[in-house]
Amino acid sequence: MRAIMNKISKTILSLTLTSAAATLAAQEPSAVNGDASAGAQTYYVYGCYGCHGYSGYGRKDLNNTGSAILASEDVFRAFMRGRADVAPLLPVTDMPNYPANSLSDAQVSDLYAYIRSMPKDVPETGDIETFQKILQAAERPYQP
Amino acid sequence: MSTDKFAPQTEAAKIGRRHFLKGTAAGAAALAVTPAAQAQNPSAFAASYSAPSYQQIQRDTGLLEAPNPERSVVRPGSDLMVQVLKDMGVEFVASNNGSSFEGIQESIANYGAPPNQMPEYITALHEESSVDMANGYGKAEGRPMAAMLHGTIGIQHASMAIYQAFYSGTPMILIVGRDDGFIQAHTANDMAALCRSFTKWDAQPKTLPECLEALQEAYRQAVTPPTGPTVVVIDMELQKEEARDVVVPPFRPAVIEGIDVATARDIAQQLLAANNPRLATGAFRTPEGVAAAVELAELIGASASTSATQGPMGFPQRHPLCGPGADTAYDYVLGLEANSPQLSLQRPSVAALTATRDTAGIGFGGLRANAPAEGRGAARPQQGTTLSIDAQASIPAIIGEVSRLMTPEQRRLIDERKARHAQANQEARMSALRDAIEDKKKGWDLSPVSTARIYAELWPLIMNEDWCLASPSSFSSSHHMQLWDHNKPYSYLGGQGAGGMGYGLGACTGAALAARARGRIVINVQTDGDFNYAPGSVWTAVHHQLPMLTVMHNNRAWHQEFMFIQYMAGVRGRGTDRGNIGTTLRDPFINYAKLAEGYGMKAEGPIDDPTQLAAALQRGIDTVKGGEPYLIDVLTQPR
Ligand code: HEC
Ligand SMILES: Cc1ncc(C[n+]2csc(CCOP(=O)(O)OP(=O)(O)O)c2C)c(N)n1
Ligand SMILES: [Mg+2]
Repeated sequence: MRAIMNKISKTILSLTLTSAAATLAAQEPSAVNGDASAGAQTYYVYGCYGCHGYSGYGRKDLNNTGSAILASEDVFRAFMRGRADVAPLLPVTDMPNYPANSLSDAQVSDLYAYIRSMPKDVPETGDIETFQKILQAAERPYQP
Repeated sequence: MSTDKFAPQTEAAKIGRRHFLKGTAAGAAALAVTPAAQAQNPSAFAASYSAPSYQQIQRDTGLLEAPNPERSVVRPGSDLMVQVLKDMGVEFVASNNGSSFEGIQESIANYGAPPNQMPEYITALHEESSVDMANGYGKAEGRPMAAMLHGTIGIQHASMAIYQAFYSGTPMILIVGRDDGFIQAHTANDMAALCRSFTKWDAQPKTLPECLEALQEAYRQAVTPPTGPTVVVIDMELQKEEARDVVVPPFRPAVIEGIDVATARDIAQQLLAANNPRLATGAFRTPEGVAAAVELAELIGASASTSATQGPMGFPQRHPLCGPGADTAYDYVLGLEANSPQLSLQRPSVAALTATRDTAGIGFGGLRANAPAEGRGAARPQQGTTLSIDAQASIPAIIGEVSRLMTPEQRRLIDERKARHAQANQEARMSALRDAIEDKKKGWDLSPVSTARIYAELWPLIMNEDWCLASPSSFSSSHHMQLWDHNKPYSYLGGQGAGGMGYGLGACTGAALAARARGRIVINVQTDGDFNYAPGSVWTAVHHQLPMLTVMHNNRAWHQEFMFIQYMAGVRGRGTDRGNIGTTLRDPFINYAKLAEGYGMKAEGPIDDPTQLAAALQRGIDTVKGGEPYLIDVLTQPR
C-alpha cells in the first residue's frame, strides 16, 4: 500500500511538473549550464542509454522531442528527483528515481546539457532508399 | 576440405593413423612400414605397447581381409525402429551421442542398402540444442522431428528446451536411451518421470513390438491436440536384440476430431446470414489449417484477423481479406483458434494435461487457468462461447455446409464485399506502413546501429525469397511486425515458449533444417545473451550446411536485466552507476565473428557503421542462398 501511495504521490508531482513545464515549453527552451561532454559520460555510466538509446532514440525518445520536461533544467531536475522511490514487487523498466545523493545537481546539469545537444537524426523518408523500396513493394498485389 | 593433420592423406599415412588410433603399434612395426607413418606415431604411445601380431601387420598393410565372424544379430531391433521413423516421415533425429542409444544411432547410420538417408542424424553439441532444434523444426512444419537423449543426464540437459516446447505445444518425439547395466547414474527405473510434468505422453516399452507401437503412438500423440513433446524410453536390449520375424506395423495416422455436421451447418448459416462476417484467426496446427482458413475466408468473403506476426501457422498477413476490412462493425465473428464475442473453436492447450501429467504436483505457474505463459497478468476474459475442439479439423465441414447453402445472390454480394475489403485492407496497410516508417527511421544513421535498421535493410533483400524468421524478436523490438509481410505459415516462429533464454540459436538451426531441402532461408536476429547459453549450434549449422543467416543484435548485455537493475538501483536511491555489474557483457567484449569462424562458419563484423550494414547483409543472404550459414556481428542500440 505504501508503495502504491508513494507511486501515486510521485505521479501527481510529475503531473504538476508536466503542466508547469507545458507553460514553459511555449517559450524558447531555457539556458544550458552544464558540460555536455561530461554529461555524455554520465549518460553512459549511469545507464540512461539503457532505456533512451545511446543518442536519445530508445524506448522513450529524448532527442529533440520538444518535450515540456526538457524545456528547462529546473523542470528536468525536478523530474529526475521526483520519481517513485519504493520498488514495486514486480520488475519494471520505468524511469528510475535519481535522488541528489546518487546524481548530484551538477551531474543533472551536465546530463541536461548533453540531452539538449543531441543531434537530431530523423532523415526524410524520401532520402532513404530502403524505405522507398519497402513502400513500392507494399503496393504490389499479394502473391500467395 | 579437411585440414586435419590426423586425416590420412596417403596409404602410408593411413596405416600410421590406424596404429595411432588403436594404440597397438610398436615403433618397430611402424618403421617397417614407412618413415611417414612413424612421424604420426608419437613415441610415448609406441613405447607403451607391444609389437603387433603378424596378422595385424598383414591386415594393416591390406594384405589380409579382416576376419568377418558370422553376425549373431542380422536384424537388430533398432533397424525396425528406424524403419518406423522413416514410415512416419520423420526427417531428422538430432542428438548428442550417448551409448544408451548406440543401437539406434548405428542403425540410423548403417541400416538399409544403400545405407539410411532418412531420418538423418543431426549432430548436436548439447541436448538443449537438439531439443531446441526439434522445437524450431516443429514450429515451422507443424509436425515432429525427433531428438535422442542419453539417459538421465541427457534428459536433464534437455529439460529446459523440452519445457519450452511443451508451452509452445510443439510436436516432437524424444527418444531416451536406457541402459540398466552400464553407468548406474545414467539410468533410472522411471526415466520419463524426470520430464513427465512437461511432456504430453510417455512410454517405456518392454518388448520390441511394443516399442515399435510406442514410437507410432508417440507420433500420433504429439500431433493430436493438445500437441506437444512425447517420450519413448528405449532399453538397450530392445535396440540390440535379434528381431527375427517381428514385422513393422503399418503406420496409422492420427485422427483429429472436428465439429459435427450439425454444428458446422449452424456456423455456416450464421456466416451466410451475416452482412459483415469476420474470421478471428489464431495459430493453426499445421499449414493445412492455414490453407483451410484462407479457403473459408474467400468463400464467405469475410475479413480476417491474424496472429502471423506473433508466431507460426497464422493467416497470411497480406491476403486481401486480412485486415480490418471495409467495415469494422462485424455482426458475426467466428473465432478459429482465437477468441470471439460469438463462437470460437479452440483446440485444448497443454494446460489441459496438468491433472494427468503433473503427477509430481509441481504446479507450473504458466499453466494455471488463464495465465499467459510469457508476459504477466491474466488473459483477457472470454466473452462468447468456446468449443474446445480443433479449428483446423472443423473448417472442412464448415466449408462444405457454406458451399451447399450459399445462393447465387449471396455469392454475388460476397464478391462485392471481398472487393471492398481488399481495397480497405490495402489502404490500411499502406497507412500503417507509412506511420511505422516515421518511427523506424529515427536514429537511422547512428552508431551503434538501430535495431529498426537491421529489420528494414533485411526486408528488401528477402522479400522475394522464401524466408522464415525463426528468432524471437521482442528484444530487438520486433520491427518486422510492421515492416515485413508474414504470408507463410512459418514466416515468424514466435517467442521462446516460457521466456527461457538460450532457445534462439537452436530453434533457428532446427528451422533451418526444415528450410534446407525446401529452398527456404532462415533469418536469425540473434541476441548476444541468448547466443551464449549453447553456442554449439553454430557448428551444427555449418556441419549440416544449413541456410541460416545470423545477424547479431549485439548490445553487449543481458539488456533486459540491465534495465530492471537500473530501476531497482534508482528507486533505492543508491546510484545507478553500478547497474552494469552482472548485466553487461563487457571486459572483454565478445567477438562473435571470430567465435563463428572458430566453429567454421563464414562471418564478418563487428559492424558499428550503419552504412556498412546493407552490403554485409547482402553478402550474408548470397552465402545462405548458396547453402551455407553466415554470421554478421552488429553492434546495436540496446533495443
Ligand atoms: C529503466 C529504464 C530507464 C532508465 C535507466 C532511464 N529512463 Fe528516463 N524514462 C524511462 C521511461 C520508460 C520514461 C517515460 C515514462 C516516464 O516518464 O516514466 C522515461 C522518461 C524520461 C524523461 C522524460 C521524457 C519526456 O519527454 O517525457 C527524461 C528526461 C528521462 N527519462 C531522462 C533520463 C535520464 C537522464 C536517465 C539517466 C540518468 C534516464 N532517463 C534513465 C525509462 C528509463
Ligand atoms: C534461462 C534463463 N536465464 C535467465 C533469464 C533471465 N533473463 C531474461 S532476459 C535476459 C537477458 C537476455 O539477454 P539477450 O538475449 O542478450 O537480450 P537483450 O535483453 O540484451 O536484448 C535474461 C538473462 C531467462 N529468461 N532465462
Ligand atoms: Mg543482449
